[in-house]
Amino acid sequence: MKTPREILLARHRAAAPQLDAIRHAVVNDLSRPTPGGAWLANLVAACLRLLTAPWRELVLPARRTWTALAAVWVLLLVINLSQRDPVSSVTGRLARPQPVMMSWQAQQRWLNELLTDRAAPADTDRPRNTAPRPRTENGETALV
Amino acid sequence: MPEVSALEQLPVAQARAGDPAAWNALFRRYQLPIYVFAFELLRDEQAGRDVVQDTFLAAVRHLASLREDDKFGSWLFAIAHQKCVQHARKPAEILFDEVPEAPDALDDGPDELLIRREQEAAFMNRLAQLPPSHRAVLLLHFLEDFSLADIARVTETRLGTVKSRLYYAKKALRKLLEADNENAA
Repeated sequence: MKTPREILLARHRAAAPQLDAIRHAVVNDLSRPTPGGAWLANLVAACLRLLTAPWRELVLPARRTWTALAAVWVLLLVINLSQRDPVSSVTGRLARPQPVMMSWQAQQRWLNELLTDRAAPADTDRPRNTAPRPRTENGETALV
Repeated sequence: MPEVSALEQLPVAQARAGDPAAWNALFRRYQLPIYVFAFELLRDEQAGRDVVQDTFLAAVRHLASLREDDKFGSWLFAIAHQKCVQHARKPAEILFDEVPEAPDALDDGPDELLIRREQEAAFMNRLAQLPPSHRAVLLLHFLEDFSLADIARVTETRLGTVKSRLYYAKKALRKLLEADNENAA
């Protein structure tokens, strides 16, 4: 009696020499001294590793948490946009005076000026100066 | 049950330091299981060898991305699985073959499935008849005794999917072998 693992490995054991050749080729490639320009590639790889380290250390282990946080922010943004007062946007649009409004404003200004003139009190309506005049002035009046 | 490689002391730390002898030891340990996995998935000797070579090269290049040294085996098989998908004519067949949920009880390990000498050829034939997605899960289970979580990671599928695939694959294989036995009798 054999386990499936034993059967599977035994079945393909004939491929071992070819697999050994593949392994030797890969390992020999590893042990070969790196050519002159390879230090630059190594440096770039090291820099990349350094740059991606925070991503791997911080983001990837807690990717669900980060995704949830991002989702909450998006939700808040959507809620904020959907609850914005539509009136403010309308007034914002009308803040710049339109030609019709200009003429209306000019009309209002003219009307105001007109009313101000009419509303100005006449001389008879002005409050009299009740303070007593000097006596000398009283005499002149009598002569007249 | 710990995976097969967990019982061994693998020189992953030395390999990280670029030691060729360590790489040689690691590759020697995994070359045949990975070849079996690739061949049984793709049913092609040349493709199997290509997958082994591509997997080794990718492992050397990306060892820095391995976070836990004791997961080297499942990490290497994950690379091999990706290479198999790239080699497959219909990658979707390997990746997205959904099956219904399996019952919770999944207690029978690989050791419980013992095969008699006269059944060996039938076992190999029947294994080849299973759908690739089921075969992949079953091979990982048989070859390295990976945990369900590790198999899910290797095949990039959900844990529940792996569970159901393993359940149905074992059930189908057992049924086929029993039918063979009855026919022989």
